[in-house]
Amino acid sequence: MTAERSNHDRTTAEPSGSTHVTGDRSIVAFCCRECAYAAADASANARTSLPPSVRLVLVPCTGRVSPLHLVTALAEGADGVMVAGCLLGQCHYREGNFNAVDRVAFVQRLLESVGVEPERCRMFTMSAGEPPKFVAAVKEMDRVIGALPPLQRHDTSMSEDAGDAAEPAKAAVRTRAATPAKAAAATRGAA
Amino acid sequence: MRAGVFICECGGNISGVVDVESLAGHARTLDGVVEVAVNQFMCGTEGRALIADAVEERGLDHVVIASCSPRFQGPTFERIARELKLGENAVAFANVREGCSFVHRDMPDKAQEKAKRIVEGAVARVRHQSDLPRQRTFLHRSVLVVGGGIAGMTAAEELSGAGLDVHLVEREQSLGGFMARLAKTFPTEDCAMCSLAPRLTSTAVDGHIHIHTLTEVDELTGPPGEFRVRLRHKPRYVSEACVGCGECIAVCPVKLPSHYDLGVCEQTAISRPFANAVPSTFAIEKKGWSPCKSACAVHTSAQGYIALVAEGRFEEAYRVASEPNPFPSVCGRICTALCESTCSRGEVDEPIAIAGIKRFVADTVGPTLPVQPAPVIHDDVVAVVGAGPAGLTCARDLAQLGYRVTVFEAQEVAGGMLRTGIPDYRLPHDVLQREIDQVLALGIDLRLGQRAGRDFTVDGLFDQGFKAVYLATGLQKSAEIELPGGDLEGVTRAVELLRELNLGGTPAVGDKVVVIGGGDVALDAARSVIRLQQQRGIDPDVTLVYRRTQVEMPANASELEEAREEGLKVEFLVQPVEILSESDDEDAAGPGQGPASRVTGIRLQRCKLGEPDASGRRQPVSVEGSEFELAADTVVFAVGQALVDDFAQGCEGLAIEGGQIRIDRETMMTTREGVFAGGDAAAAGFFTAIEAIAAGRRGAAAIHNYLRGERLLPVWNEVRDTARPSAEELDGIEIGQRVPMTMVDGLVRRADWAEVGKGYSAEEAVAEAKRCLNCAVCSDCGSCARACPSGAIDWDQRETTEEITVGAVILATGHRQFDAARKIPLGYGRHANVIDQGQLSRLLSAAGPTEGELFRPSDGAVPKRVFMLQCVGSRDVTSTGNAHCSAICCLFATLNASLIRQHYPDTEVTIGYTDLRAPGKAHEEYYRLVQERGVRYVRGRVGEILEEKDGSLRVHLEDTMTGRKHEEVFDLVVLSAGLEASDGTRDIARVAGVQTGAAGFIREDHPKLRPVDTQRTGMFVCGTAQGPKSIPDSIAQAKAAAARAIAMLSSGFTMTAAQVAASDPAVCIGCGVCETVCPQKAVVLTTGADAHSIVDPSICRGCGICAAECPTGAIQLGGFSDAEVLAEATLR
Repeated sequence: MTAERSNHDRTTAEPSGSTHVTGDRSIVAFCCRECAYAAADASANARTSLPPSVRLVLVPCTGRVSPLHLVTALAEGADGVMVAGCLLGQCHYREGNFNAVDRVAFVQRLLESVGVEPERCRMFTMSAGEPPKFVAAVKEMDRVIGALPPLQRHDTSMSEDAGDAAEPAKAAVRTRAATPAKAAAATRGAA
Repeated sequence: MRAGVFICECGGNISGVVDVESLAGHARTLDGVVEVAVNQFMCGTEGRALIADAVEERGLDHVVIASCSPRFQGPTFERIARELKLGENAVAFANVREGCSFVHRDMPDKAQEKAKRIVEGAVARVRHQSDLPRQRTFLHRSVLVVGGGIAGMTAAEELSGAGLDVHLVEREQSLGGFMARLAKTFPTEDCAMCSLAPRLTSTAVDGHIHIHTLTEVDELTGPPGEFRVRLRHKPRYVSEACVGCGECIAVCPVKLPSHYDLGVCEQTAISRPFANAVPSTFAIEKKGWSPCKSACAVHTSAQGYIALVAEGRFEEAYRVASEPNPFPSVCGRICTALCESTCSRGEVDEPIAIAGIKRFVADTVGPTLPVQPAPVIHDDVVAVVGAGPAGLTCARDLAQLGYRVTVFEAQEVAGGMLRTGIPDYRLPHDVLQREIDQVLALGIDLRLGQRAGRDFTVDGLFDQGFKAVYLATGLQKSAEIELPGGDLEGVTRAVELLRELNLGGTPAVGDKVVVIGGGDVALDAARSVIRLQQQRGIDPDVTLVYRRTQVEMPANASELEEAREEGLKVEFLVQPVEILSESDDEDAAGPGQGPASRVTGIRLQRCKLGEPDASGRRQPVSVEGSEFELAADTVVFAVGQALVDDFAQGCEGLAIEGGQIRIDRETMMTTREGVFAGGDAAAAGFFTAIEAIAAGRRGAAAIHNYLRGERLLPVWNEVRDTARPSAEELDGIEIGQRVPMTMVDGLVRRADWAEVGKGYSAEEAVAEAKRCLNCAVCSDCGSCARACPSGAIDWDQRETTEEITVGAVILATGHRQFDAARKIPLGYGRHANVIDQGQLSRLLSAAGPTEGELFRPSDGAVPKRVFMLQCVGSRDVTSTGNAHCSAICCLFATLNASLIRQHYPDTEVTIGYTDLRAPGKAHEEYYRLVQERGVRYVRGRVGEILEEKDGSLRVHLEDTMTGRKHEEVFDLVVLSAGLEASDGTRDIARVAGVQTGAAGFIREDHPKLRPVDTQRTGMFVCGTAQGPKSIPDSIAQAKAAAARAIAMLSSGFTMTAAQVAASDPAVCIGCGVCETVCPQKAVVLTTGADAHSIVDPSICRGCGICAAECPTGAIQLGGFSDAEVLAEATLR
């Protein structure tokens, strides 16, 4: 699509962001469409009360969630991120949630290595028919993050442009990719 | 971007908690938003109109819907956007109901703030949402159904009913699968075949269903809608001319355990599993050629005549043995019998005495069959020069082809080397003469004492009107002895000695004789010398000297043994250095003093075996200083033979090279037009009688082709693969021994020229023939072809492959019964009266081998006490690795028990079960009913089953209710063997690339939601290939699988989904991670320098695993690109 901007909007737009809710925790929950998001819908339809800190992001499968998404969400405003998918062995695409488990574990090690509490990134599994498990997961995440101090971000200038959140991400990706991917490419070429 | 935000009140569900007007105000401040509207029910007619108007009036290109969860009304709004020509992916959703108002009712302030965040996220996201391409793909409106059991047939019928073309592939020779083997079915006890047969018939006549039996799927590639399939059709060897009369079964001599009857009875090599088989054409089980047939130079079907002898059908056996070979009696005696060296039975104990059996048949039947002159069909006359095995065989074959043949022979007797080279005690002259006479009786003109080059010339033959000449003059001259003393008196050549003897002379031999050589000729000479010495009244003294060991010796081992019995002395690893004479003692000048000096001895040298040479034989190497002398007055050399080329005089243009007539390998023609050659005279290398016969056959075929001017006959036989029993089959064979042939005692027989081996009696020949293992199954005896009234037997069929394209695939390859022999203590396969439920079904089937009578295998008695054991190979992780319940066994046993109780009220049936499971419809009621019929159910485990002397079985049983252990004796034990994936299921899973799970069953894509889909789009699974289940469940699943395929293919085309992965080749580095992780195999990597990934949108199901794994971001999931996900997940 064209990234055309309305001049009218530009002049009137306020800087947006989580600074409006200073003091409140902000948690992003990546939920798979088949199980976790369905469980969330079901608990909501039962009017189950939930802590307001957790905001849902729909993904087709937790296998879609990459470390990039988790790290960027934390870098760009979230105090915690959670990935909620199907029960292990019941992924609708076979093994996407196993991929997600591995990636969450990877991000936890990454956070730990830079002095950030690894529990800011968590994985949960549940079936579509287990709304209480979703509720428990959200409450658990809210409790854990609430007990932690706000996430300190030393460098907040990762993105000047609120409209294109993907740019720094892409840059990060390219940096990350440089070594192993090239090595892999070289191996293939040799083979 | 010109986005519109549409906020739904949801009749208060949202607006009751969130101030929607305030939210709208906030939305208006957001970058890119040009229109904001609020409505009570945005999903209603009014809401839709609102959106449509706004899109038109305000020129919106994107829409944000702030309402309920996208899982509810998402598709509705996406459809509206599509109708408004906004394309795919123009809508973003702000879930302010389930994501906000429903769960924060008690905190409106927080809810208000959160709703803003949610709308912000959706607006940020929608900016990155670009139109997604969808492709229209063509779908082949045809389906491959693999497996012709009840599931496969049902699916095929459903598909055909929807107008789709079906390729129904079955690896066995008939459709029907396991159901065709059942007696009755539970819980209704209706006959299995009665419900199967109509379906078999309707499948057979269905114009949409193409049935491929005896067919395997070798390859399955390509995208859904356009799968490319390579089918491999195995030959049936019976054409569609078969009328199903069954005459062939009556004459087939090969019996094997019946595949269809699960081994409870035998079947013949040509068979049809059951009367209603589809197709009804019989089929021959033929693995190739037996090793004996492959090894034979003329490819005699030795397994064929042996199978016939085993049945006492001697005349037919003789016809099989003599068809390719006019000298079966001769070959039964003197053939090198490579057939025996290669015989599979030799790997168990001793090879079959093939030659002995052949000799018996030929001697018994041969003389009794009158030979009629062959009708002359062609005007051309052919001359054969040389009446040895090659010449006579060529003459016979030509006569049988309808030619007039004249044979010219230089000697006064016919037979060539068979006559002059082999002593009487090994091949009696009358036996040879009888077979020669039978050849001549075809109307062949034999002229003895006619030597080419002396009495006539080849050129002259053409002048006389002969249209072709076959030269089979043999090698009549012995090679020179290149050894000091080779020309001494008393040094002779074996071939010359034997010729003199066989033409009625008495060769002069001394008292101490040394024979040099290790072949048949050397042994023949040595044994003849023993007899000559005995006749002269002296004690035989003959020493055979051979430069290698007994292992390398070309002569037959039994021949050597017989010679030793007659008193032959043998020196191995010894070679001659010099022949000594009287003059040597006086004159140190050595030999050559005068031809008259007589042999006194021979100087020999010991050898050891060195490295193998180019031919693979280990060459003898002389040992220095090991020379020794042996006294002898006669030295016989079995040296090579050479061509006497006087026949070439008067044959213009005939080339002789290296002591051989030069011939073309394909046409058998010499360098002279119309002149052919074979036998020893035109052989390259080592030649035997059977090789000469084979050459004669090739010559006849070549001459026929030449005279008729076209390739009518193959000159060389097309060789087929050699078939042998597997190592496991050989392991199962009881070790025995060859039936010994009566021999005249060594010391008695050396006194005369009578034949040494007396030959088999009829009983001995039959007993020996029964040892044959039927390596190739079909023995090539040809009985069926002779018996078939419609000429349907077709030996020329070959394995063929066929490529087809189909839109979808249904896998219905079924199960196999667990091999109960793996549970060793239960005795299956060892105790005759331990069988499994499948076998019991065959015995209880009215159409089965016993016509429904229950006879126990050991003695045919009706069992009075039957024990059935459940869960054999199911629910048994410890000893079989199978954790699963096979689902049908409780009812299968209950059914068979019920049938026994009704048919034999006096027979008690006990079922030992682990847990009795009868969850299907009417199954519990049926179980109760059968209990009332008197079947005893014991919850118990079996430790061991032992066989009593009378075949009864002692069962060690533990009652798991009471914990009591006891023993009971039963007449028959039936094991309920569990279900495992069939070999076909395992094979197709590999070929199709679908995953398998426990016990090899094909995994469905989702255990609840996609129970008949595999993880590969367009491939479905049904029946017991997916897991153990009953017949009704298999049928239901088959119909479900068919419905999935029909839904996919009914329109003939489809649009690929919008939400699929796509790879940017400019960014892709070709690492291949995406290809590895894709669960659908939708991603493939191109090859070459700029290798990059390509996603097939018709296969991709949009999970995005590849996009998350991609190290460069080259591969992105439509609608969930990194940009889209991150825009929503980060709020800055």
